[in-house]
Amino acid sequence: MILRRVQYEAARRVVGPVLASLDAWQRRLRRRRGRPRAGPFGPPLQSTRKLKELMAVHYYQGRFADGAVPVAWVTSGFPVEVLRPLGFHAVYPENHAAICGVQRLVPALSDAAEAEGFSRDLCSYARTDLGSVIAGRTPVGRLPRPDLLACCTNICQTVLYWYRALAERLGVPLVLVDTPYVYGREAKPHLLRYVRDQLEELVRVAERVSGRRTEPEALAEAARLAKVGTDLWGECLALGRHRPAPWTAIDGFFHMAPIVSLRGTEACNAYYRLLRDELADRVRRGVGGIRDERHRLLWDNLPIWFAVRELSTLFAERGFNFVCTSYTNAWAEAGSRIDPADPLGSAASAYTHVILNQDLPNRLGILRRLARDYAADGAVLHSDRSCKPYSIGQVDLKERLAAELGIRVLLLEADHSDPRAWAAEQGENRLTAFMEGFA
Amino acid sequence: MTGPRPTRKEYVARQRALHGRPSVAVLPVHYPKELLTALGVLAVELWGPPGPPRGDAAGRLQPYVCALARNALAFLASGGADAVDGVLFPHTCDSIQGLATLAADFGGWSRPAFTFLHPRGPPRPSARAFLRAELRSLAAALEPLAGRSLTPAKLAWALELHAEIHAARAALLDQRPRVALSDPELYALLRRGEWLWPEEHLAELRAARAVMADRPAVQGVPILVSGYVPEPPAILEALGAVGAYVAADDYAAVGRRVVRPGAPGSAGPEEDPWDRLVARCWAAPPCPTRSADPGARAAHLVALAERSGARGVLLHVVKFCEPELFDVPAIRQAFAARGTPVLVLEGELEAELSAQAVTRIEAFVELVSAREAA
Repeated sequence: MILRRVQYEAARRVVGPVLASLDAWQRRLRRRRGRPRAGPFGPPLQSTRKLKELMAVHYYQGRFADGAVPVAWVTSGFPVEVLRPLGFHAVYPENHAAICGVQRLVPALSDAAEAEGFSRDLCSYARTDLGSVIAGRTPVGRLPRPDLLACCTNICQTVLYWYRALAERLGVPLVLVDTPYVYGREAKPHLLRYVRDQLEELVRVAERVSGRRTEPEALAEAARLAKVGTDLWGECLALGRHRPAPWTAIDGFFHMAPIVSLRGTEACNAYYRLLRDELADRVRRGVGGIRDERHRLLWDNLPIWFAVRELSTLFAERGFNFVCTSYTNAWAEAGSRIDPADPLGSAASAYTHVILNQDLPNRLGILRRLARDYAADGAVLHSDRSCKPYSIGQVDLKERLAAELGIRVLLLEADHSDPRAWAAEQGENRLTAFMEGFA
Repeated sequence: MTGPRPTRKEYVARQRALHGRPSVAVLPVHYPKELLTALGVLAVELWGPPGPPRGDAAGRLQPYVCALARNALAFLASGGADAVDGVLFPHTCDSIQGLATLAADFGGWSRPAFTFLHPRGPPRPSARAFLRAELRSLAAALEPLAGRSLTPAKLAWALELHAEIHAARAALLDQRPRVALSDPELYALLRRGEWLWPEEHLAELRAARAVMADRPAVQGVPILVSGYVPEPPAILEALGAVGAYVAADDYAAVGRRVVRPGAPGSAGPEEDPWDRLVARCWAAPPCPTRSADPGARAAHLVALAERSGARGVLLHVVKFCEPELFDVPAIRQAFAARGTPVLVLEGELEAELSAQAVTRIEAFVELVSAREAA
C-alpha cells in the first residue's frame, strides 16, 4: 500500500512530467526535421503542449492508482466534486473511449464486446470500453481497476446499462445518481429533492469505499474549484465570439479533456487560465484558429473522433471555421448553478439541468443562442448513431434553426467513434455541397 | 362473445358515450395503471403500432431510432390517436423520453401530454420518496382530464381490481399447458388488457380460467419467450407450426408486467394505498427499462424456464432497443451454462414475419427437439 502510494505520487510529481517532457521534446524534434507546417490552420496553440502533459500525467498516474488511492470510474456528467475530498482517482471511460476513437481502435475493441454478445447497435463508447475491459487492451498503458463505479443518467440511460455490465464483470459496487428528465425550464421540487437525496446517499457509499470521512470544508472547496473551472472553460469558449475566432471549436473538443476529467481540481483551473490568456492574446493580435475565416459554423452533438482532423481540414481549407459547439458548451453551463455554500443542493440543480437532460425547446434555445452569440452563419448537426438522446429531435431542430435564424443547416449522419458507421466519400461529398451553398 | 369485436377507436368512443370515461394513450412499458383506473380514465396502450411508419412525420426520427418510437410519432402525428384525450409517456428509455418532448413540443401531439418518471435503480429510500411524489404529481395532472379528484378509497379499489387481474394473468401464464387456447388466442386475450376497461378484461380472464383443463391441454416443445412485444403475432403461429408453444413469457408487454400474488404491493388493503402503489411499481419481474441488474433478470429467466419446463429460449428484441440489447450477453451466458439453446431474433415491429425469421424459428425448434431426443 505504502509502496503503491509512493509510486502513485512519484508518477504525478516526477516520472509523468519527465515522460511528458520527453515526448514533447521528441515531437518538437520531429517537427523541426520535417517541413514547416503549411495549411489552412492558424499557428498551433502553445497551451496544447501543457494539455498533453496534463492528460498524459493523469493517465500515467492512473496506472499506479489502484492499491494506492480509491479509484472511481465515472461518467462525464457525474458530480465528481463529491468524490474529490475523499481522494478518489477518477477515470472517465468516455474520455478513454474518445482516445480509442481518435486512434481508430474502436473496431477491434468493439469486436471483443460483440463476440460476447453486445450488439453493434449499442453506443460505440460502451462497446469500446467493454471491449477494452474484455480484451485487456488500452492505448493508455493501463487503466486502474475501480473500487467504485459512479454513474449519472443526466447524459443518457445508456451509461446505466453500460456501468451495470461493468459492475457485473468487475464485481465492483455501482453507485447511481438518477437525474429524471426535465420537461419545461426548471425541474420540479420533488425531482431536485430526489437528486439531492441521492447525492447524500452517494457520500455515504463513497465514504465507505474510501474509508474516509467527507469534511464539509473540503467538499465546499471542491465545489468552488469546479465552479471556477467551468467558468474558466466558459471564458475560453466565449473568446471564440471574436472574429476571427482565436481557435476552432474542433480544438475545443480536445481542450475540454481537463474540464471533463479533472473538474474540481486546481490543476484543471490552472490549465484553463493558461489557455484563456493565450486565446485572449491571440484575439488582441488578430490571430485566428484558421488562416482565412470567411464563414463561421456551429457544431451540434459529439465530434466524429476518428475523422475530426480530416473534416476540420476539409472545412478550414474552404474558409469555414467551427466557432462553437453545443457539446463543449455543456461543460460551461453548469457553473452558474454551483454554489460552494450548498455543495450538494446546488450540484443537484447543476447536474440535473444539463443539455441532454432537458427538453427540446431548451435545446433549441441553446443552439439559437450559440448561433447568435458566435455569429454563426451555418450549422452542422451531427446525427450520431451512437447517441440517441443527442440525436433525437435533430430533424426538427434543423428545420427550426434554418427557419428562425436564416442560416444553412446540415444534418450529417455518422458515429462518434465507430468508423464502420461512416461513409467517408459520401459524407465529404455532402459537406462539400453544403459549403458550396454559401458561395 | 357475440358479433365482431369493436376496434379500439370504437371502444374508446363507446366508453366515453356509455360511461363518460376519458381515455389516454400510453407509451410502453411501465406505468401506474391503477391511478388511471381509479380516476376513471381508460388506458389504451400504444406499442408502435407495427408496420412501417406512416404519414408525414415518419422521417422525423432517424432510422437508427427504434421502430416503436418512430412508429408512435408517425401514428400520433397522422391523427391515429385522435380518439383519445391525452398521451402518457412513461420514462422508459432515451428514445421514448425524446419522443415525449418531440411530439408534445415540436408538433405531432397537441392535446394534453403527461409524463411519468419512474426512478432508476433499486428501491432506495430516495427513490421511494421520489416515486411517491411523482405518482401524486401524475394524479394531480390527470385529475382535470378525469373531471374528478382521486380519493384513497378509489385508489384502494383500483389496486384490488388490478391485483386480481395480475393474479388471473399470472395463473394463465404460469399454468399455460392447462389453458385450452392456442398461443395466438391466449396472447390475443392477454393483450386485450392493453386497452379494455380493467373490469371487462378481468371478466374475460375469469372466463378463460374457468375452462382451464385439469390436465395439460397443450403439447409440444416448450419455449420461453422474452423480448419487447410479440409483434408480429405471426411469430406465435410460426412456433406453433413447428410443434412448439410458449411455456413461459417474459415479454415486456405481457409477462414482465405481471405482479404475482405474494409480491410486494400485490395485497394488503389495510396499508396506505399510496404505499401499496409505490410497492407495486417495484414488484413486477426484473426489467431493463426499470434498470434491473442483467444478472437478476437472467436468474429470473432461468427460474422461469425451470418452473415451466421450457427447453429453449427465444429472445425477440426490437432492433436498436438498448435496454433489451444490453441484457442479451448475460441471458445468453446464463442459459449457455445450463445447456439451453437461445435464439436471438431481432425485429423492427414489422407487420409480417419475414421468411428468414420463420426459417430461423424452424431451425431453432428442430435443434431443441433434437437435443431432447438425444
